[in-house]
Amino acid sequence: MSLAKFLIKRLLQGVFVIWGVITVTFGLRAVAPGDPIDLIVDPSTSPEVREQIRQEMGLNEPLYVQYVDYVQGIFVGDLGYSYQSRRDVTVMVLERVPATLELAIAATIVAIMIAIPLGVISATRRHEPADYGATLFSLVGISTPNFWLGIMLILLLPVQLGVFPVSQRPVGFGPAVYSLVTTGYFNDLIAWFRHITLPAITLGTYFTALITRLTRSGMIDELGKPYVTATEAKGLPGVLIRFKHVLRNTMIPIITVLGLQLGTLIGGAVITESVFDWPGLGRRLIDALYAGDWPVIQGVLIFIGVGFVVINVVVDALYATLNPRVTDE
Amino acid sequence: MQGARHNELDRRRFLQLTGIATTAGLTSMAGCIDDSGGGSDDEFVVTQGEFATTVDPNGHNDAPTYNVLDQVYEPLWDITPDGELEPRIVEEWSHPDDSTMELTVRDDVVFHEGQEMTASDVAYTINRAVDEDVGIASEQADRYPGVVGAEAPDDTTVVIEHESVPSIVEFNVATVATVVSEEWMEEREQPVNEELNGTGPYQVEEYTPDEEITFTTFDDYWGEVPDLDPVRFRGASEASTRVSELETGESDLIVNVPPSDVANIDEADGVEVRTVTSLRNIFLVMPNDDEPFDSQEFRQAMNYAVDVDAIIENVLDGFGSPTSQPIPEGIFGYNDDLDPYPHDPEQAEQLVEDSGYSGVEITLESPEGRYLNDTEVAETAAQQIDQLENVSCDFQITDFETITESSLDADPSTSPDFFLIGWGNPTYDADYGLAPWFVSGQAAYNFEDEEIEEKILESQQTTDPDEREQLLQEINADLHEAAPWVFLHREESIYGIRSDVDWNPRADESIFLDEMSR
Repeated sequence: MSLAKFLIKRLLQGVFVIWGVITVTFGLRAVAPGDPIDLIVDPSTSPEVREQIRQEMGLNEPLYVQYVDYVQGIFVGDLGYSYQSRRDVTVMVLERVPATLELAIAATIVAIMIAIPLGVISATRRHEPADYGATLFSLVGISTPNFWLGIMLILLLPVQLGVFPVSQRPVGFGPAVYSLVTTGYFNDLIAWFRHITLPAITLGTYFTALITRLTRSGMIDELGKPYVTATEAKGLPGVLIRFKHVLRNTMIPIITVLGLQLGTLIGGAVITESVFDWPGLGRRLIDALYAGDWPVIQGVLIFIGVGFVVINVVVDALYATLNPRVTDE
Repeated sequence: MQGARHNELDRRRFLQLTGIATTAGLTSMAGCIDDSGGGSDDEFVVTQGEFATTVDPNGHNDAPTYNVLDQVYEPLWDITPDGELEPRIVEEWSHPDDSTMELTVRDDVVFHEGQEMTASDVAYTINRAVDEDVGIASEQADRYPGVVGAEAPDDTTVVIEHESVPSIVEFNVATVATVVSEEWMEEREQPVNEELNGTGPYQVEEYTPDEEITFTTFDDYWGEVPDLDPVRFRGASEASTRVSELETGESDLIVNVPPSDVANIDEADGVEVRTVTSLRNIFLVMPNDDEPFDSQEFRQAMNYAVDVDAIIENVLDGFGSPTSQPIPEGIFGYNDDLDPYPHDPEQAEQLVEDSGYSGVEITLESPEGRYLNDTEVAETAAQQIDQLENVSCDFQITDFETITESSLDADPSTSPDFFLIGWGNPTYDADYGLAPWFVSGQAAYNFEDEEIEEKILESQQTTDPDEREQLLQEINADLHEAAPWVFLHREESIYGIRSDVDWNPRADESIFLDEMSR
């Protein structure tokens, strides 16, 4: 099978997955308890007014009509309007993407900064106290619930010691960089950095353990290979061997996992975003869930689904380029 | 080899140490430099549990949104903490006959974008909410029961046509209507959810939908320009986050402080807790369409069985006050002579015996997280009832949507047999708390009693205020006796605020920034 054929097949599969996500999220609304109208209006609202609002929102139509309307809308990028604010859902989802991406990437960087040195230490000092220490640390890291760590960090750093803010991010990364470039004004970027630090640590700790383990086992595998002995025999310094040659070879599976985890982070930052009041997709989702704002819930879920599919297709494409054998399945 | 290895370790350690040092350096640097984007130190930040859901002043009916928009869109009247109307945009008002109300509005009011406000803007505001064809289908329409429409014969006169009694109309219009510009609204797509243009003391500096809004004072405001400037409103759904923000100075006023955090705030410097008993009643509904709640003795027994004082003390950390009737104190029509049912298990057992339902099994249903410690309140009440020798009472969590869907459909037979709910009373008139529950055909109708229903309908036609108040008090006394609910408590609104700010919280949960100073 040629590469092009393989990719077309993967893309078609992706389209079906996305259609599935759209249908399932739509179906969820139908099976969820309660009439959407009760979530939209105040309990004291009279039956007549409820009926008026139901009609205005098209909720009086049969379900299949609503479904067809919805799917048709998606083709032109229209995810409908929020029950609550009556704003365009497409806008509501897209405006939250930068904050979530920033946090996901910052958390990944935090995870890499902790996990890779830890993994390297673990591998090179196998069965020594440092290894046990690193293993224990990663175990604690994965066992600590996000919300607890977030709240503890808040109580310790901003509240007790007065360093770092709790929330209220004043500016996004893009605008901060823009103001630096146009005006040479550094403070926006610093403010952004101060606000993202704690959430990034909270979220990053979560998958530090996984990467520590991957680095450790990968390094151990690589360290036993003949080329390591050869380079050592050649007299290259150990640090150079470990970081330039061995670690680099170990990075391939780590980067794959990081890429896929990024997808999880985008959808899974709900708790961290709530604790730090971070204006991202996760908080949009949780607010919408509380309010029963189904168009927004569906919009966010579809966006996350599409994100996953895109990441997977890209990873597949990369693999296929690196290793043409995968197209022969 | 040994030597070489040591050498490597040193280098690695060096790298580690420099790494740690760099991180620590960055951290401390970040800690020292002031926030630039977060606004100035003078900025006053209000953090609610929710931000405004929309900025169309007629497109919603929820308290956090009113609080945000009331700074920009000005109410027609001021309401004092005692529930008295005071002139604001409306200077004078009268009732020429039984079905009209006449307002005289100020002639010196301008909108933030420069339009002059006239009586036709006020009329348009009311019509926009009550008449779907003028504006949008809005749940706010319910806040104007009996109001048919309004018109403006000249620039300062508004005539409201209604089918209700004067005092109900006054309060309904006074508590919802905030004046908008007809010309400006009509130019925009409905509902208007991206921009704001009101007449209030604050105008919008920056608005980020669903996140926050910054106000500055409006220089051409007809009244006194407020002290706090600039001001920012935002929402943070996590209560612990709000409390931390108050303690670090990121927020200056926070709402809904959990009772468990009250001590923390009291201990912190420069901030304090302020509370007020709200106009929201919490109670257990007993629809009388079914056994055993069709018996008045049995319903009274439930009231004697539940120890409200103990619930307030233990479950609500003291933040609540017991109630004796469907209407909270401070509302027009409240009956001062009624006392809450005392806790008397023996009396309760005797009444159950009299009702003939001895040995009955019942289940109390409660939503979770909707009201302050709601499940704990309901669970404790259920246990107290269960302790009666001749009643066994179970407890169950039911989601709020299911409870409201089944109980607020004007049909008592679909409602849960026994459930917890809360009811606000933002209009300051007893009618808002009575009619929906006890007049057939109304949303919350769960208690059939023709005599009470007739009296409520009569009260809606009684134009003389004194006569009407007396009638409402009589209805409340009847309802105390009839015990359609287990009367529990009124919630306490708990705010955390910077100590140097001069402000008393209001029972109606409103926040008016122009009432604050520091």
